[in-house]
Amino acid sequence: MSPRYPLSMTVNGLDWTVSITAGRSLLSVLRDELGLTGAKEGCDDSECGACMVLLDGQPVNACSYLALQADGRAVTTVEGLAAGSGKVLQEAFLSAGGVQCGFCTPGMLISAHALLERTPQPTESAVRLGLAGNLCRCTGYQKIVQAVLQAADVLAEPQTKQGES
Amino acid sequence: MSTVLGGRYQRPDGLGKVTGAARYAADLSVPGLAHACFLYAERPHARIVKLDTARARSLPGVLAILTHEDVPPVRYGMFVKDRTLFATDVVRFEGEIVAAVAAVTPELARTARSLIEVEYEPLDPILSAEAALEADSPLVHPDWEDYAIRDGVDRRANDGGHFTTVKGDVEQGFAEADVVLREIYRTDMSHAVPIEPHAILAEWRGESVTIHSTTQVPYPARSGVAETLQMPESRVRIVVPPLGGGFGGKCDFHFEAHVAALARAAGRPVRLVFSRREEFVATDKVRHPMVIELETGAKSDGTITARRARLVLDSGAYVGDALFAAEIGLMMVTGAYRIPHVHASAHTVYTNKTPAGSVRAPGGPQVCWAVEQHTDVLAAKLGLDPRELRLRNLVREGDTGPTGQRFDHNGAVECLERATEKAGWGKPLEEDEALGIACGWWFSLPVPSGAYVKLNGDGSGSIITGAQENGSGSVMALALLAAEELGMRPEDFSITYQDTDVGPWDLGSAGSQTTINNGRAVIAAATEVREQLLELASEELEASPSDLELVDGQVQVRGASSRAVSIATLAAKAHGGALLLGRGSGLPPAVPEHDLAGCVGRLGYSAFAAPSFYCHVARVRVDRATGVVRVLEMTAAHDFGRVLNPTGAEGQVEGGVVHGVGIALLEGTAFEDGHQRNPHLLDYKLQTGADAPPINVIFVDTKTPTGFPHDAKAVGEPPVVPPAAAVANAIAAAAGARVRRLPMTPERVWSAINGESA
Amino acid sequence: MSDPQYFAPDTVDEAVRLLSEHPGARPIAGGTDLVVATRGGRKELPEALVALHRLAELRDLGVEDDALRLSALVTQAQIAESEPIIGTWTALSDAARLVGSPATRATATIGGNLMNASPAQELGSPLLVHGAQVELLSTEGARTIGVDELWLGPGRTATSPGELLTKVVVPRPQPGSASAYLRLEYRQAMEIAVVGAAALLTVDGGQISQAAVALTAVAPTCILVEGVDELLADAPADAAPFDAAAELAAAQAQPISDVRASAEYRRAQVMVIVERALRMALRRAPDRVAA
Repeated sequence: MSPRYPLSMTVNGLDWTVSITAGRSLLSVLRDELGLTGAKEGCDDSECGACMVLLDGQPVNACSYLALQADGRAVTTVEGLAAGSGKVLQEAFLSAGGVQCGFCTPGMLISAHALLERTPQPTESAVRLGLAGNLCRCTGYQKIVQAVLQAADVLAEPQTKQGES
Repeated sequence: MSTVLGGRYQRPDGLGKVTGAARYAADLSVPGLAHACFLYAERPHARIVKLDTARARSLPGVLAILTHEDVPPVRYGMFVKDRTLFATDVVRFEGEIVAAVAAVTPELARTARSLIEVEYEPLDPILSAEAALEADSPLVHPDWEDYAIRDGVDRRANDGGHFTTVKGDVEQGFAEADVVLREIYRTDMSHAVPIEPHAILAEWRGESVTIHSTTQVPYPARSGVAETLQMPESRVRIVVPPLGGGFGGKCDFHFEAHVAALARAAGRPVRLVFSRREEFVATDKVRHPMVIELETGAKSDGTITARRARLVLDSGAYVGDALFAAEIGLMMVTGAYRIPHVHASAHTVYTNKTPAGSVRAPGGPQVCWAVEQHTDVLAAKLGLDPRELRLRNLVREGDTGPTGQRFDHNGAVECLERATEKAGWGKPLEEDEALGIACGWWFSLPVPSGAYVKLNGDGSGSIITGAQENGSGSVMALALLAAEELGMRPEDFSITYQDTDVGPWDLGSAGSQTTINNGRAVIAAATEVREQLLELASEELEASPSDLELVDGQVQVRGASSRAVSIATLAAKAHGGALLLGRGSGLPPAVPEHDLAGCVGRLGYSAFAAPSFYCHVARVRVDRATGVVRVLEMTAAHDFGRVLNPTGAEGQVEGGVVHGVGIALLEGTAFEDGHQRNPHLLDYKLQTGADAPPINVIFVDTKTPTGFPHDAKAVGEPPVVPPAAAVANAIAAAAGARVRRLPMTPERVWSAINGESA
Repeated sequence: MSDPQYFAPDTVDEAVRLLSEHPGARPIAGGTDLVVATRGGRKELPEALVALHRLAELRDLGVEDDALRLSALVTQAQIAESEPIIGTWTALSDAARLVGSPATRATATIGGNLMNASPAQELGSPLLVHGAQVELLSTEGARTIGVDELWLGPGRTATSPGELLTKVVVPRPQPGSASAYLRLEYRQAMEIAVVGAAALLTVDGGQISQAAVALTAVAPTCILVEGVDELLADAPADAAPFDAAAELAAAQAQPISDVRASAEYRRAQVMVIVERALRMALRRAPDRVAA
């Protein structure tokens, strides 16, 4: 019988404690223990990015991250993005047509969110590099890139106005 | 009159997708869920001499283990019934399913799988399609003559489908030519690679099973379950949760029956979720490796007089739906050019490799890549500009296709003109850059389909359709068609889809057919509702129905918006009597007349209905020292007839182009001794967002009389067809060397530059 | 098939003690190599894991007069973005910027990268040309070895089971030095090196005074190319025999054929990439033009 270990983490602002074996990935705990199925499993070598979540604000491929290493830390999944500036991104993805099948979308939004936190006004090239860890087979990326640039503009607006006043 | 067609529209399933609320198949869970896994052959060709599941069965927590002994002895297959659910005596590719396990946890299922004892006697693998066609080749299927086939299939030993096209007199055509060019091109296997791997959840209630599946084709999948498990279709319900892309890899009947049989044996709901490796190795729908032989005669003024072509498709262990690829590929050998004399053949060859079949535009990218490079080589031989040679040969109204179908007014020439103009054809570029052109054509597929439209008591509408949404948005856009017909807004409609117990039959998301077939059905259903509304309104407004129109949510006397009654009012009234309910189906439009005299093995793609045309121009930079190619820009002009949903159509073009660029540069499976060497995304490289070029999308809106409905033509598949060809021609122009093997990897480009045949 | 034991110590001493008590244990930092290797059933996790992420003492990125000191948990993202590294140890930031995606860079650590001992690791060659050393700690005490002594082959290092890599020390280069790392890239991102090369040049008054080249992914480990310094030292910067250095490198490469490339192509590309890396390093050298 494999030993089990307690894992306490904050997910989308809520505290959770579960007891798991050490081999479990963060993704499997989020999906199977917490019922947060927004993050997806698309590959097994950290190439597709569908599983991406934020760990203490940094993007991480949850499929290849040991859940126990998230102990005491804060996780944000796509389900928690709408609570913050992620909502602007979500709306931009919809209006720009950046969503087709939607399977890459949660990871894409997480990467986009992390990018805009680091670089609020990215160039197109920075957006493309920032999303390089998230594969999309439907869109050809063009409308996703447009959505991120559009969201960056929207998020910049209030600050600009404050600066002007 | 205002129209919703051609406007910008936000897809209604998008909100669930951006919030993480949308539940895909692998996200589904039910109480008592058990977990499945498959035991694969893991060898290309062998005889099973021992198969013992006793040890695995005895493991606590194992609920069911199935082998060929546990399911009806049924051979199935869309064209050739060459396949069984489980290997019986011989395994024919590494991903062949030998056994299936259900256990209380996924880990336990895998442990049980490792306890299944199988002994094999190795058989010589047949790994080359060309060698398999030799008279003395061993056979992948020694009993091939006993397999049942669909009418029209012409097959031979190791050849699951042989086709020919004969037009005019090809010898005469070559006799008229001043120049003859003969070339051979080869392509590697590539994959559909939806980001969502396959997942299936099956649950029985009494004698009926509900299967949640990642299929693109729920009704054909239902037929497959019914056929292989020998039960009526009425007891099989296929429900497709939001589908995480398909690109053909989820077409045809796949694994639904295995999971259903497991769930029945386990007495529990069972879920199967594929890993990425399984997605490569076991998902038996890959893009065909091909050998493409082309021989062309032309006059010195560039007029093409004759084409001879031979396609050898390496189709792997089973035919599946591969004959689509062979026949469509055969139709592509003339390109979109008028060629009076044609002789072409295709062979769909059995080997001990992953079975090939429908991947987005089956047969298209490979043949277009070869034909359009051939066109450039011919232009060079004739001393003509590649654009000019194309312009002189592209089909115009009245010209005939490879089987003699007569073309209506179309946008072939305009696509070339507008794409080359936008891309700056003829203008100076950096020394290591060049442009490449590719033109071609594709079909619109006329098949049956059905839908219901109803208006609710409050005047809102509901569409109930058999159509399948694969992510492209084509089902989402059905609301546009209903709204257009009824003078309502798209957002007034809910859409219920991809549930075989609910909607009428539909082919599924295959063949770029949803808008043009289910769209027709939705329009027909909405038309019935429209007539019911006009009838009700005519009483209300004391006017003849023929004097009424539906505009902005109301029925009004034509030209007099004050004499009107709202649709909501009429709907409420109807709910006290005859409900507002329409159904749509009807015969599909006919395929154009054509001539199959002398042709062999034709199965329905012998003429292209409402063909759509395209021209792509690639701008690339080639690093001559390394062979690394960067695609800097793509320009894609498409004649889709009338574009009904521009956001959706742009999305199809942009996604298809980047998929096509991937096929051009890096997407290829390497084989070693019958095993895929790169069944993972680190070494099977899709284009990332950083690689994907900016794309100029041009819609050449032709008023084509053959489009359907609203003059629309197929959109989904064509964009993936020409990018590899355009990139190839650009590479050749920039590198001064031509790569005749796909994908055109850096090493192959480097080899070509260094004078070696790639 | 059972899951590993798991420890998450709070101090380095405790980590080292756990490693000595559990001979089958492996330290885990970001897990971007270790965990990924076990996905899809390719490999088993080790029987015990000693997680390092709580060890604040291993997070320091110290820029000092004599050297750059990178503690084991410094991430690729930190190396890619650190201004002093970009300015002085440029090959390291070049390399770190090429690693995976932003998520991988945020998670992957230098300690994990080095101890995974992949011949394709990006930081390997830059550390070789910069003459870096690693500090290893065990219950027996600490020792320091050169990175050129650390790797024995793919996945194999010269460390003993109880040893923990705690720090990487990269000496400050001579004044007038510049370095660069380049790799052959099939894609613009998410790549693994097929051929990579790092170059370090010290240029004084338009004349090369010191040179080093190291290779990635063309031998069982990242390797220093021997004889580069002798070949290039004292050469005028604007006419240095970089092509000869590239030939030297190609001769010492031991490329294999695999799914990513043939040995022949790899060897030819060593020449291209080495020459380009040298040229890039030279372009960065402050004193490249004769006075």
